[in-house]
Amino acid sequence: MSWIQQNWPLLLPLVLGAIGVWLLMPGKRAIRPLGGLAALGALALGFQLVAGGKDIHGAMYVVISTFCLIAAVLMITSRNPVYGALWFALVTLCVCGLFLLQSAPFLAAASIIVYAGAIIVTFLFVMMLAQQSGASNYDQSSRQPFVASVIAFTLLGMLLITFQSWGVQHAKIQNDPLQAIATSPPTPATTSETRTVHAFSRPVGQEQIGELRGLGRALFSDFLFSVEIAGTLLLIASIGAIALAPRRAQGTL
Amino acid sequence: MNGSIHPTLLVSAALFALGAIGFLTRRNLILMILSAEMMLHGVGLAMVTFGQIHNNNEGQIFTIFVLTVAACEAGLALALILSLYHRTKSLDMDLWSALREDDMPSPVGDDSTRGPVEIDKRPVPPILTPAGLPLDPKTPLQPTRSSHEETATHV
Repeated sequence: MSWIQQNWPLLLPLVLGAIGVWLLMPGKRAIRPLGGLAALGALALGFQLVAGGKDIHGAMYVVISTFCLIAAVLMITSRNPVYGALWFALVTLCVCGLFLLQSAPFLAAASIIVYAGAIIVTFLFVMMLAQQSGASNYDQSSRQPFVASVIAFTLLGMLLITFQSWGVQHAKIQNDPLQAIATSPPTPATTSETRTVHAFSRPVGQEQIGELRGLGRALFSDFLFSVEIAGTLLLIASIGAIALAPRRAQGTL
Repeated sequence: MNGSIHPTLLVSAALFALGAIGFLTRRNLILMILSAEMMLHGVGLAMVTFGQIHNNNEGQIFTIFVLTVAACEAGLALALILSLYHRTKSLDMDLWSALREDDMPSPVGDDSTRGPVEIDKRPVPPILTPAGLPLDPKTPLQPTRSSHEETATHV
């Protein structure tokens, strides 16, 4: 009981978020706006938990993260699957924005190309060909929404508790993650005191993390065999997709 | 235990949990796959954040490999969805719950929150009865419109 009293700022947004998502799921209930309000309240409480009284670095984090989570909730709760796919595209864009904020510009560009440029388009294509008659009633209902919400938010709570205990251990880095990276160039003398030293794929010299030169050097020297295996995997997957796809008459799906 | 979670880690964990909810609850095949992709987004975001906190490139490189696997997964899932759609003319996942054993309970639970099973109202295309073979109306996996589509001979 004392544990609950101690951790209620963490438990309250989790419970509220679970209730909100459960109420937002498609079904016979007519109180979906209430669920939306509960989910928004959980989001606000969660951000206040993260901020912890001090200001967050930059408003971009708040804006992009908020849009990302809102789009994610709307994606899994939308009744029209085409809208769901479009919300997923928005989630992808927001995740790419967070990649940019985490100094991973190449990864952001690659994610936009792969997800928004290829996956979303082909899935939308299939969806529009398969459901030409409009909304179908298997999208109007969901399968065991209450149990799934409880389980997934319990998992989320465990993840957050793990992150929190890990963050207490690394409090020095955690307090100012952006400033520590941005202001001081990473030199082995400063990094070796606070972090474990291993020289694997660490940026050298004046390189910043996420710079394309360092990324390519690490990718094609340290991880060369993995790159070859990934290429083989793509080849096998394309052969398997061709073999799995049904033969069809021309012009039909 | 005051709040000290990195905000990007919070977003990544929330994306993972929401993707899990979507994968478990939605009945549309394509939305299930997209929810799985959203779980991969959460994992990639967490790995990039860890890579930045520990100041090396491994997080981003792992995420590049995750992106490769996600592309493979999307291609194979699309092929599987197309062949499933080819048999039932529907993207409903619950139509495939008949694949279980006879003594197993239904994986979708009770039908209190579910709508009725979709009934295809489109006109049945004319199919010539094969000569000499009696049609068995009690065969469960013989819908009205899938018996002529297994091969491409009717092009």
